[in-house]
Amino acid sequence: MNEYLSQVNAPSLYFIVGGVLLFIAIMCVVFIVKSYRAGIAIGMDPKVLKRAITSSATFTVLPSISILLGVVALSGSLGVPISWLRLSVVGALQYELNVAEIAATAMGLTGLKVTEMSVSVFVTVVMVMTVGILGGVLCCIFGLKAYLGKVKGKKKNAPEAAEKADDANGDRSEAKAGGEEQEKKKPGFGAYATVAMFIGLCSAYIGSYVGTFARRDNFMPLMTALISALVMAVFEYFTVKKGKAWLDNFSVATSMLVGMIAAVVVNLL
Amino acid sequence: MNEKEKKEYLHKFDNQLHLLGRITAAISVILMVATPLVIAQMYGVSISGSGFLNGFLKVGVIYIPVAIVEFLVYAPMLGTGGSYLSFLTGNVTNLKIPCAMNARDIAKTTQGTVEDEIVSTLSVATSALVTMVILFLGVLLLVPLTPILQNPVLEPAFNNVVPALFGALGCKYFAKSWKLTAIPLLSMILLCVLVPAMIDQTSILLLPAGGMALAIGFFMYKKGIL
Repeated sequence: MNEYLSQVNAPSLYFIVGGVLLFIAIMCVVFIVKSYRAGIAIGMDPKVLKRAITSSATFTVLPSISILLGVVALSGSLGVPISWLRLSVVGALQYELNVAEIAATAMGLTGLKVTEMSVSVFVTVVMVMTVGILGGVLCCIFGLKAYLGKVKGKKKNAPEAAEKADDANGDRSEAKAGGEEQEKKKPGFGAYATVAMFIGLCSAYIGSYVGTFARRDNFMPLMTALISALVMAVFEYFTVKKGKAWLDNFSVATSMLVGMIAAVVVNLL
Repeated sequence: MNEKEKKEYLHKFDNQLHLLGRITAAISVILMVATPLVIAQMYGVSISGSGFLNGFLKVGVIYIPVAIVEFLVYAPMLGTGGSYLSFLTGNVTNLKIPCAMNARDIAKTTQGTVEDEIVSTLSVATSALVTMVILFLGVLLLVPLTPILQNPVLEPAFNNVVPALFGALGCKYFAKSWKLTAIPLLSMILLCVLVPAMIDQTSILLLPAGGMALAIGFFMYKKGIL
């Protein structure tokens, strides 16, 4: 057995990760209890609160199974315990893999390849993955109270304006018309910026796979990417064209796993 | 509870959530950062300072702005409790936001009200817990499979996990706008074919590729062709 893989799958790592996750799980329970009590205290119907909990639990099952598939995909290079931790907190599969790859190449490896990994590279990669994603949490710790205070302050004026419209017209037709006008407005560039950034990101990687094939006669990365893309295209057909939106939960993880299986099969041929 | 008492209660509740959120999020951050340090200590290795800085700079350029934008956009949608929990437990756009929206629809709360915020917090916390439980059960099942996953036959699969990801993501995002894709994709392909040294420098290529796509996207947006 690969020594690196047995080190990153050691039982002690499961206990460390289990301890961190237990703390976060307790935190979630405390938030549930506090919010539930607050809801009851202000006169909300307990049935509504319970429905919010049960509907969220059922809503989460399918996406969580997809996240679990991500753990399988990540575990071959980073071990099960760290994959379990990374996909339970803060990030998502896309982020974790991309950052792990960037960190591995920054350490002088040709990529996140299990054959090149060692424990010292592993701890550095995990540290980059951890610190690199903390932006959102740090914004919450240092700025959420002030930011939400500002947003709520601004929002207070909106209902007042709507009420005035009610008083004047007996209905909310003016406020509604304003809302519809806003809806018709073209979305800001922000809506396209994320898509543009991901297109750039994918272009860089796909470009390197074509280069690997053309200049180094190694077709494996390109072939894996193409098979994954093909499976994703099938998913896109069903989710976009056939309206099976629930399938989207599985699209990335399943496409990846099929691509990875294809790499094994082609290697055996 | 009259209106005044309700208002005071909610103000106190909001302050408590912020205090609780800040303390628990800070402890969680410390625990997460400590994890690789403890593992390094266990195996008698150290985290490479230069490797970390080099990697972090490349990651930070992309992900710090994304994190700030996500915070600014999603925090008002999630409210106090929902924000602390969502940004800590991750999968914000693909799971927590839709889950909270679904719970609000079912509870029929009005956006921006305290009731709405309470439902969002309950929803996000429940969702995070369910994900943790499912991953825990999945990991229990995965442990006996670990020797199989470490079989050398499967090495090509895990050596190609990143191409598998970007093949799938590429298909999803390229299809959103071929007009926006054409120049960055062709430039990167040409660059890697003509300058083979760039093949191993994907972490550097991300910057010009991302910048190019953003600039072209902005130009097309301004011209109204996006």
